[in-house]
Amino acid sequence: MADDTVGRRASGTWPRRLSAGQPLGAILLCLMLSAAATTATLSNLAVQLPAALWLDALGTPDVADMPQVLVHYAFLPRLAISLLCGAALGLAGTVLQQVLRNPLASPETVGVSAGAHLALALATLVAPSLLAFGREWVALAGAFVAIAAVIALSWHKRLSPLSVVLAGLVVSLYAGAIGAALIVLRHEWLASLFIWGAGSLGQQDWTTTLWLLPRLAAAAVAIGLMVRPLTLLGLEDEGARSLGLPLGVYRAAGLGAAVALIAFVVAAVGVIGFVGLAAATLARIGGARRLGQRLLMAPLVGGVLLWAADQAVQLATGPQGDLLPTGAITALLGAPLLLWLLPRLALASEAPALTAEHLPRSRRPGLVLAALGVSLVVLVGLALLLGPGPHGWSFAVADQLQPLLSWRWPRVTAALSAGAMLALAGLMMQRLTGNPMASPEVLGISAGAALGMVLALFLVSDPGRPVQTAAATAGAFAALLVTLTLGRRAAYAPERLLLAGVALTALFDALILVLTATGDPRAMLLLNWLTGSTYGVDAGSALLTSAIALCLFLLAPAFIRWLDMLPLGAPAVQSLGIDLRKTRLAVLLMVAALTAASTLIVGPLTFIGLMAPHLARRLGLARALPQALGAVLAGALIMVAADWIGRTAIFPRQIPAGLVATLIGGPVLMWLLRRR
Amino acid sequence: MPENDRRAARRGGMTRRGALGLFLLPFAGSLSAAPRPRRIVCLDAGLTETLLMLGVRPVAIADREVWEKWVVEPPLPPEIADVGTLLEPNLEFLQQLRPDIILAIPYLDGIKPLLERVAPVTTIGIYTQEGRPYQLAVEATRQLARLVGKEEEGEALIAATEAGFSEIRQQLAPLSARPLYIVNFMDPRNVRVYGRQSLFQDVFDRIGIRNAWTGDTNYWGFATLGLDGLATASDARLAYMEPLPEGAGGTLTESPVWNAMPFVRNRSIMRLPAVLMFGALPSAARFAHELAKAMTGDAAHG
Repeated sequence: MADDTVGRRASGTWPRRLSAGQPLGAILLCLMLSAAATTATLSNLAVQLPAALWLDALGTPDVADMPQVLVHYAFLPRLAISLLCGAALGLAGTVLQQVLRNPLASPETVGVSAGAHLALALATLVAPSLLAFGREWVALAGAFVAIAAVIALSWHKRLSPLSVVLAGLVVSLYAGAIGAALIVLRHEWLASLFIWGAGSLGQQDWTTTLWLLPRLAAAAVAIGLMVRPLTLLGLEDEGARSLGLPLGVYRAAGLGAAVALIAFVVAAVGVIGFVGLAAATLARIGGARRLGQRLLMAPLVGGVLLWAADQAVQLATGPQGDLLPTGAITALLGAPLLLWLLPRLALASEAPALTAEHLPRSRRPGLVLAALGVSLVVLVGLALLLGPGPHGWSFAVADQLQPLLSWRWPRVTAALSAGAMLALAGLMMQRLTGNPMASPEVLGISAGAALGMVLALFLVSDPGRPVQTAAATAGAFAALLVTLTLGRRAAYAPERLLLAGVALTALFDALILVLTATGDPRAMLLLNWLTGSTYGVDAGSALLTSAIALCLFLLAPAFIRWLDMLPLGAPAVQSLGIDLRKTRLAVLLMVAALTAASTLIVGPLTFIGLMAPHLARRLGLARALPQALGAVLAGALIMVAADWIGRTAIFPRQIPAGLVATLIGGPVLMWLLRRR
Repeated sequence: MPENDRRAARRGGMTRRGALGLFLLPFAGSLSAAPRPRRIVCLDAGLTETLLMLGVRPVAIADREVWEKWVVEPPLPPEIADVGTLLEPNLEFLQQLRPDIILAIPYLDGIKPLLERVAPVTTIGIYTQEGRPYQLAVEATRQLARLVGKEEEGEALIAATEAGFSEIRQQLAPLSARPLYIVNFMDPRNVRVYGRQSLFQDVFDRIGIRNAWTGDTNYWGFATLGLDGLATASDARLAYMEPLPEGAGGTLTESPVWNAMPFVRNRSIMRLPAVLMFGALPSAARFAHELAKAMTGDAAHG
């Protein structure tokens, strides 16, 4: 299996540039970060309390002196928490990478953080009494459900790195979508969830620290006892088995310990973006090659990293600044760091990872396409005519028809165009990169488009739709360029593209979290749009969107020949006399335009671009043209259905269409991943 | 409920001419005999509470379920329909309600063109860049009263609110020396503290209470900050309002930072029932009333 070879190579080729003996780079990094963090810490401390009182505040603070109380019960525990959580995440990241033999594994990328977070959010809202048993049990339950789902989804691929990360992304995005649905539906009453979910490290006493310490220590000791078997897990299965190791047991135990670490951290402070991945990766490229070294260095790097980030946040916001959540800031800082690192990271070399060869080919693609087309027509009819009103469900007839249609047709048209465009963009990306996970959403192109749009909203006083479209296109293209520049050296190797995309998406999420946590009234408006509400679509923008879609689709036939060839690989394409660079650029421009136009309507969070091409492929449409048509029809179908469900499911309230697309698309995608 | 709706819809059918008349009102100059809107959809809770105090029931409001938790009084009549969320009221539903007028706030300007396709929209701003929400709430009361032809009731509401303030001002005069923080808990560590540009600040000014929070606020009149940000004024009292977020009540009493706060050490904290922070005159009156009750009750105890 192609994926599996990638996995083995990926885990076997750490950088050789640095000395194989000592992790000098990682140690140096720790020292530098510590120096910076210490300076920041002292400066933060000096703002709060004269140096003469530091020792008093540390030992026995005078309870009548507020600054001393704050240093003893807020500043110091926060410092301890930052070190503890950073170390725990670094350790968890390293163990995950070892157990899953996956250089991309981390609390975020395998869905564990998102699962724990969602479980806590759900418990808070739906069954607060559950939290009385202890937050950790709720978080653990969520984390284990998430990792179980990820493993179940990638089991048939023997947990190959790509399949695990794909499943992890799907699970994360899915959990995130449910969380977003909760926030959209119960908005301002959830303000505290915003702050907490964004990873605020603020403390008011030592209880969280003391709560966390034994739990983290237990997990760390368990991992410490497993260093030897865990090391052997890095070998080939056959090799390890010949040494008489019960592989499954140790894999499960290692995984359990890592997941527990993450769940404890999430239960204590929320999601701290990117520290786990950054720490594990930095330790490795810093020269820690043996597992023992990595298990030591990654927690150190993670702890120092979070410490420095948190002190920097406090430096920026004043003492105990809580409203610039550190967890979001680490993602803001971690993402560019990762982007910078990517070209320097010796990951697996290129391998065509498309598994399409194993899939059925329909002998009659026309029939499949016809069936999709008929379904779409029926669905559009239903979406336009059938819906609930004050008196229950009814078909719009006679004098009701005209007024209801005037509300419904722009939304249906816009959803249809957006779904179709995203599907085509996804198909082009997948064919271009030979990467089954490529899609506008996963590669951060949607995030870029959304970012452009957000900037337009906050910087331009009253941006009209043309300005928004232009800003979104610019953002999409910029994100695309960043992703692909980073991917170029490895000729668009799947992992690298994916990591860059994940980093960009995290950057964007962090920005949104920071915006929403500040309680800016514009943030709610933004959130509605981000989750893909078609509410505000009027006739004008519906027509504009469908016109853009039509123009772009008219251009598409010019690409079909290239799309058939590109998956064959660069040498094959060049041997056919095609200018690879120009071809790629043309395809990329097209993808950026498609993504920007659709993101404006349905937000950056749908799965359509990832899902629709797979759906078409699973239906047996193998060649570029039928697959493109099938994907476009499927994308339109899902988006129209999503809009309809969003408008009717909890009438008179509405769920944004983009969110519904994610909610129904997620399981479809999981089912597709699972099916053999 | 469906029966009510059906009746409501039938009533609505007869007032189409009324709606037309209202639509023509701006063009009709000083035509004073313009029919009054009978079917009002009111999207903002502050405007809704004012209407209810004037004795007028809107046919529908937004975010109905929020009322009991955050507005509490006046109680909401059960037959008022819910059109969905404030930011995305259901347009199909709205249209089928056949309102004569939709009352909105500047926050909803983004969807105003959509609402205008259903019925004429009147935007009434109480919370704007210029602050002073109390004065704007008085003006909003007059505007609403004119709109529904209850000018007398409107003036009576304004007068009763002012009278209530001066009574409470006298009552609290002996207690007014110390400043007061007024907050909502976001979670056990973070609060929304109300200051300049908030309705509560305007009430403070009228009942002679000094706000302990003199820092910056956003355009809704509050700032979000960590509890320890409240530690600066050493003689301040603190009043926190319901609803409390899950778990805030329990953990507070154990927190050393909370317990070291000057107002906790002096036992100068009060718990108030929920009062709509983005409300109009009824909320202002309710706030003054509940605060006076808590402060005098407190003084009696200690």
